[in-house]
Formats: sequence, C-alpha cells, structure tokens
Amino acid sequence: MIVFRNVSLAYPASGALALDDLSVRIHKGEFVYLVGHSGAGKSSFMNLVLKRALPTRGEIQVAGEPLARYRGRRTALLRRRIGTVFQDNLLLEHLSAYDNVAFALRVTGVPGREWPARVGTALRTVGLEARAHARPVQLSQGEQQRVAIARAIVSDPPLLLADEPTGNLDPDHAREVLRVLQHVNLRGTTVVFATHARDLVDTFRHRTLTLRQGRLVRDDPAGGYAL
Amino acid sequence: MTYHFRQALLAMRGNLTATLGTLTTMTLTLLMLGGVLLLTLNVNRTLEGLESQVEVAAFLEGDADGAALLEQVRAFPGVREARLVSREDVLAEMTRDYPSTAEAVSLVGNPFPDTLRLRVGRVEDSRPVAAALARLPGVEDVEYGAGYVDQAVRTLTTVRAAGYGLVALLFAGTLLSILNAVRVAMYARRREISVMRLLGATRGFIRTPHVIEGVLLGLLSSALALAVLVPGYLALAERVAAFAPVFPVVRDLGALWLPLGAVAGLGILTGLAGSLLATRRYLRELE
Repeated sequence: MIVFRNVSLAYPASGALALDDLSVRIHKGEFVYLVGHSGAGKSSFMNLVLKRALPTRGEIQVAGEPLARYRGRRTALLRRRIGTVFQDNLLLEHLSAYDNVAFALRVTGVPGREWPARVGTALRTVGLEARAHARPVQLSQGEQQRVAIARAIVSDPPLLLADEPTGNLDPDHAREVLRVLQHVNLRGTTVVFATHARDLVDTFRHRTLTLRQGRLVRDDPAGGYAL
Repeated sequence: MTYHFRQALLAMRGNLTATLGTLTTMTLTLLMLGGVLLLTLNVNRTLEGLESQVEVAAFLEGDADGAALLEQVRAFPGVREARLVSREDVLAEMTRDYPSTAEAVSLVGNPFPDTLRLRVGRVEDSRPVAAALARLPGVEDVEYGAGYVDQAVRTLTTVRAAGYGLVALLFAGTLLSILNAVRVAMYARRREISVMRLLGATRGFIRTPHVIEGVLLGLLSSALALAVLVPGYLALAERVAAFAPVFPVVRDLGALWLPLGAVAGLGILTGLAGSLLATRRYLRELE
C-alpha cells in the first residue's frame, strides 16, 4: 500500500533532515503504529504520503503508483483515497456531526442523494449515530475525534492516516478512538497510526515502526513500544 | 452550485467592510468609465459633424492648369472629394451670399481665382492635405479651418485620453480592492480550505465560491453604476439639448447601448478577473 525507498526530507529553512534515508513497506490491510518522540519524523512521513511535502531524495509509492505521478488535479484524487485524522480534529464548528461527515462527500462531488446512507453508516461505525445533529462544541473531545474518523472513512478510502489522533484525549477516550480505528482496519482499510502513547501501543499490539531523528530504528512485527 | 453560491453570499456577509469597500470603489470606477465612454461617444459625434463640414480650399494662380491639378489632388491620401470651381462660379457664389460684392467687382473686376475645393475623410487629415496642396506648383494659397478644427481636435482628444488614463488607474485600484476582499474571505475560510484540501477537493471547487463572489461584486457594481448613469446622463442630455442645441448630444438608446453595455460587461469581467487572480494567488499562500 505504501512504499518508501531511501526517502529523505530536509527542512527547507535549516536543511536539517526530518527523514533520513527511510525505507519501509506497509502492506494492504495492515494496522501499523508509527512511534517516536516529537520531531522523530512521524508527521513528515504522513505529509509525504499526502503529498503535502515532497521528498528531497528517494521514491514513494502509494497504491502501487509513484507519488511523483500525482500532479495537479491527480493530487486531489490521491487524497480522496486517503482518510486522515489529526490531533486537531479539524471539524468545522458551524456544522453538525452529520454535516461535517457529509462535507467529505460534498467536496468530492458525491451526489446528495447518497449522503444519508453513507454518512449514517460512517457515524454508526464510530458509534455516534445518535449524535448526528450535535455540533462539535456539544460533543466530548473523544466524540469529536470519532466524528473526524467518520469523516475520514465515509468515502471508503483504502488507506487511513491517523497522526496523533489521541494526543488531546484522556486514556479512556484514547482507547475508544483506537478501538474504532481497529474496527475500521478489520473492514479492510490499511491504518497507519502515529503516536507517542506507549500504553496504547502496548495494549493493542500491531506492527510497530519506531523512528528516531528521522531514521527507522526498529520495525517490530509483533508490536510493542521500544524507545 | 447552490452550495458555492451560498458560500459566496456568506463570505460577502462575513466580510461586510471589505465587500462594501470593493463595491464602492468598483461602482465609482464604472461610473467614471461610463462617463468617459459617453463623453467619447459625444466627442466622436461632434468630430463627425466637424469632419463633414471641413473644407480645404486651394486658390490657383492665373496660369495654372486647374484640371490637371484636380486629377493630382484626387489621388492624395485622405481626400474624400475634390472639385474645381472656376473664378466665375466663385464670383457668382460670393455675389449670391454677399450682394455687395457686385459693386466691388464693377470697380476692380473679378478678384477671385480658380479654386480647388476638397473634403477630407477625417478632420485630422486637413492639415497634411493642406500642406501637400501648398507645395503644388500653380497653387497660390491654401485655406482650411485650421484654427478652430485643430484646436477642437486637440482639446477633445486630450480630454478623451485623460479620461481613459484615469479610468485605467481606477481599474487598477478596483482590481487591488477585489484581491483584498477575496484574500480576506479566503483567510476567514482557511480552516475550511485546509480541510477541503485534505479531503481531496480540487482547486476549482475551492475557488468557485470566491469567483462567484467576484462576479457578484462586478454585477452589483455594474447595476449600481448604470442605475445612476442612465437617468443622470439622459437628464443632462435633455438640458444640453434645450439650452445649447449647437452640441449634437447623443440621446438615442440605439447609440447608447454600446457604452452602457461596456460598463456592465467590464464590471462583471473585472470581478471575474480579479477573483480568478486572487484565488489562484492566495490558494498557493494557504497551502
């Protein structure tokens, strides 16, 4: 699903490496933790996959196709195939949970008649069907993050990138979010979960990639946080 | 499209100060443009009137071959019409227009020479045609309405050019104002735009509400400008026609349609161009 071959990314201002000669392959249907301290390169990894940044060196493939081939309008089409969830849930405050999720369908041109069924399914998946009409301020932070997940999966993307989605949550809400992401993964979606929450990684074991100063220092198929 | 239209209206309402500022600048610019276009229309009408009246006259020497000279001047560029008037015909004309000429002629004989009378295509051609005539052997003197024609043409052309210059400056100001309004609107939507980009919205989709905003601003400004310009001009034209009928003020709607249409068209076009430019530029900034 994702292939990095000798990928480096330098910060434009300082020239320091955010990622240093990273080579890794994430297979279709996997659930992978990306762990490391702040500045280890987790977000840089996500940004490269989303084509929000371009590698200084190396090659990246997503869904079998080199990222370099995605230009202009094709970049938008690439992003439609990748669900994203961030620490800041990026929900739109003036919209209800339903409308926030439907927003993903609206901006990608999905006909309005398909929205109720698809949004309903997505909200049901994250356990928030009953809160469809609540605005973000009326939801707990855990619920907000689940709405963000619903928005990320409503288009049925084959890949979901979650960058510190539990960073602002208490342990209970964090586990709740992780359970939802595992459920999404069980439906066949590849999930890459960047986190520095040791307890989560140790509790729900999956393949774990450990980054340190931009380098991959450990690739543990059995999982577990080892820094 | 309903979504884009609603977003455009929300953006305009959300940034009311910038919207009103742009609307005012744009309306004033279009009013100015309309004024200059209507002035040009009237100037052109006046020049056409002058052109149809301007005549260049060449007085021939006694032994000049008038017929040969007539053939020569007909080939001059800018000459629309040329004819040779014999000294007898000139005398007859003068006697008809000024009966006292007959008395003078009885004392000194016919003082008038054979004369070539020319009409030019454009009033600006009078001077070069007169200069060319004066150089011909057999031509004693040349006369044309140089004094008032040259002065009128120079003044009207300067007024017209100054008007266009001013309108060009105002349009530059309007464009900057639109850029600013769209920038403010896009900045206010930056979170939404950032989410859109992540969700896979195309640039076109993100830009559309702001382009609609620009077109709406253009449309509103054009409507406001025309609402002031049309009744204002017609009232002024009526007064000029009543008090100074010598000026051929244009009042027929057939002729007014073009400059007024240009005001509406340019308003919408400026809104469209400004918003396209702004969204292209500021979307890059937000990425």
